[in-house]
Amino acid sequence: MNDNDKASDVILTVENLKKHFTPHAGLLASLGGPKRVIRAVDGLNFSIRRGEIFGLIGESGSGKTTTGKMVMKLIDPTSGTIVFNGEDVTSIHRQRLQAYRRRVQMIFQDPYASMNPRFKIREVLEEPLVIHRISADRRKRGEMIIKALNEVKMNPPEDYMGRFPHMLSGGQRQRVATARTLILNPMMLVADEPVSMIDLSTRAEILHMMKDVQRDLGLTYLYITHDLSTARYFTDRIAVMYLGRIVEMGPAEEVIDNPIHPYTRALIQAVPEPVTGQVETIKELAISGEIPSPANIPPGCRFHPRCPFAKPECSGQAEPELMDAGKGHFHACRRWKEIG
Amino acid sequence: MNLKDLAYWFNDFWTEFRREKSGLIGLAILATAVLVVVFEPLILPFKGAAASWRNINYWEDNSPNAPPVWTNLLPGKDSAVTGTIKPARVSEATIEGGAVATTWEFEYVYQYDLPPLDLIMHLRATGNLTFQMTLQRPDGKSILLSQASEHGLANGTIRMAATAYGRDACFAFLKQYENADRVGILTSSDMKVTDIAFAEAKEGMFDNPVAQKGKYRILVTAIGNAGTDKVESCEIIVAGRVSGLLGTDNLKRDLFSGIVAGLKWALLIGLFVSFVSVIIGVMYGIIAAYFGGMIDKTMMFIYYIVNSIPVLPILIVFSAVFKPSLMTIIWIMIIFSWTGSVMTVRSMALQIKEETYIEAARALGSGHARIIFKHMAPLLIPYSFASMALSVPGFIVFESSLSLLGLGDPTIVTWGAILHDAMLGNAMLNGVWWWIIPPGLLIAIMGMTFAFLGFAMDKILHPKLRTR
Repeated sequence: MNDNDKASDVILTVENLKKHFTPHAGLLASLGGPKRVIRAVDGLNFSIRRGEIFGLIGESGSGKTTTGKMVMKLIDPTSGTIVFNGEDVTSIHRQRLQAYRRRVQMIFQDPYASMNPRFKIREVLEEPLVIHRISADRRKRGEMIIKALNEVKMNPPEDYMGRFPHMLSGGQRQRVATARTLILNPMMLVADEPVSMIDLSTRAEILHMMKDVQRDLGLTYLYITHDLSTARYFTDRIAVMYLGRIVEMGPAEEVIDNPIHPYTRALIQAVPEPVTGQVETIKELAISGEIPSPANIPPGCRFHPRCPFAKPECSGQAEPELMDAGKGHFHACRRWKEIG
Repeated sequence: MNLKDLAYWFNDFWTEFRREKSGLIGLAILATAVLVVVFEPLILPFKGAAASWRNINYWEDNSPNAPPVWTNLLPGKDSAVTGTIKPARVSEATIEGGAVATTWEFEYVYQYDLPPLDLIMHLRATGNLTFQMTLQRPDGKSILLSQASEHGLANGTIRMAATAYGRDACFAFLKQYENADRVGILTSSDMKVTDIAFAEAKEGMFDNPVAQKGKYRILVTAIGNAGTDKVESCEIIVAGRVSGLLGTDNLKRDLFSGIVAGLKWALLIGLFVSFVSVIIGVMYGIIAAYFGGMIDKTMMFIYYIVNSIPVLPILIVFSAVFKPSLMTIIWIMIIFSWTGSVMTVRSMALQIKEETYIEAARALGSGHARIIFKHMAPLLIPYSFASMALSVPGFIVFESSLSLLGLGDPTIVTWGAILHDAMLGNAMLNGVWWWIIPPGLLIAIMGMTFAFLGFAMDKILHPKLRTR
């Protein structure tokens, strides 16, 4: 594989992406002293290959949803660039944004809230067609809706078209949400915790469906989750985020079977397993405390206050960049060899 | 939202609404009011009341300051009621010299204690004619109430009032029965025509007339040339001491007609102003909340300015400078009152804006207009309805206050305008209570109606207010 091939192989590149929020300060506070800045996403670099499922993993507050929204262009980044399919989409507007949204779609976390409760399923699915003026013919739109519902295995589609979202189960709603994104034939889907609010029993089914759709249509997924077990099953590559930065990135199996960064290790240890005899025990975690506030990021390695292996150098020296550990496995721990 | 959903929603709403007693009362009154407006031409006793409210000639046959008819039901003396009599018989007789005498015979059953104020004859005639109006009393005596000749009439109207021409005849009649000493110090200009004409013929009838009850006959005779002269549509109007359902004012106007004619303006002003201003306010609030940032700040700044301008002084100045018309008053009210719902809507819209489905719609590529009109506005419609209903009374009262101050549209009759006239006519001092209480009460009732409706809708559409 030469460099040229590699470049066309990449569908989305995110470079040094930052999102800083400045909360509203009182009049007095805004006069004196430095501004309080919440650094939700603080220098993110990753690229996603065409046809790949890329998992973005992290605790709540790690900035993964913010990243998803920036990729989706729902919020504007403070700095950095997003390149999609060879086009810089960081600050596009109007027609180009509209075109971008035909190619990149999003599945939201809460299937109960992501559909207008006053819309019927037909109207929910019709909305993207109307917005993007795909077809003026109502019957043709109906056919497209049926096709999209078939793709997400809602059978028979006609039965569901007249229903309201509240008449469907969580799993069915997430299928509809997926169908709504597929109807525009996108190239990439941003899936923000699509199964976290769905019953455990239907999760696998939804993920299967999403994977089938991805294979059939050759889609690329940016899969955002806090759930390592689904990430391993579902994704090709994962990136672990901590406080707005990627601390480890690589092929899914590699990262989960051979985690390098202490944070990834802790995350993997924390996954509860229903093992006979241990069902009653709650695992002791290697890391303690809560994720620090993104308004007050610790100096040096931002994980050091919670890291069991932290040394003075971790807080004293500059923040470590991602380092290559081979096999496409990257990490950001300067003491990885010692703690390995 | 298609028709079926709307029907479903309405059904739901109605089931809830039926439980609100005050809401039902409000609805019943509103339905009655709408019916009155629709059937106004049938209900109006004076068909031209709305158009001719300020035309004094239109009302000349009424009695001024007459109390309502139903005051006869109260203990005390009964008064003659205003009304129109149609001829019972018409006869023609040829007299010498080729003249024809047409006689209309009217029957008037008089059973009150106090006589009417006047008897007025109307007819249309062509040619040169002589008219006579004679009253035949139940006791067999008769009085020639009036006599007149008209020349060169071309389908002209003739109006003969007994009080205007009948004094001499009455004085002559009085002389026959009253004692000579009393009559000696009187002249014909002292005569109260109807008092004498409807009193028992005996001594003392001038000072203490006793009603002569019974069937009176009024004969109207028109004498003219056969063939060339024509007379038609003769009728007698009894200008009574009590008149209509709600009496008359000092300019003889029938107040019931005025109030019925004013109802549609009250409804129009209340509903139209509240509808338009609430729609503007709701859209303003949504837009400010949706766009946020500088747009929100600017819009809120404008809102605060408009909200703090006192409307009444502005309207007073405006009305003094320009000729106020209904439409300009309505628009000024809208310009200064759309702010009412802005704050509530803005806070609600700020909440809706954060819903995931709004974000989802944006991710799908929805434009601002689509999000505002398809996703946000429908959620605020129920609130808008309630707030429209609640703001109606304010506007009705507002227009009334303007009219009361004399700043209303002078070409229409509104309840406030009636009150303004009552104030100018010293209705309070003269004890003309029927001029003040009905319009005032109706303004209050109309306000109450919409307040009831609004409260009921508010309760249903904002479940948090429910006390059960």
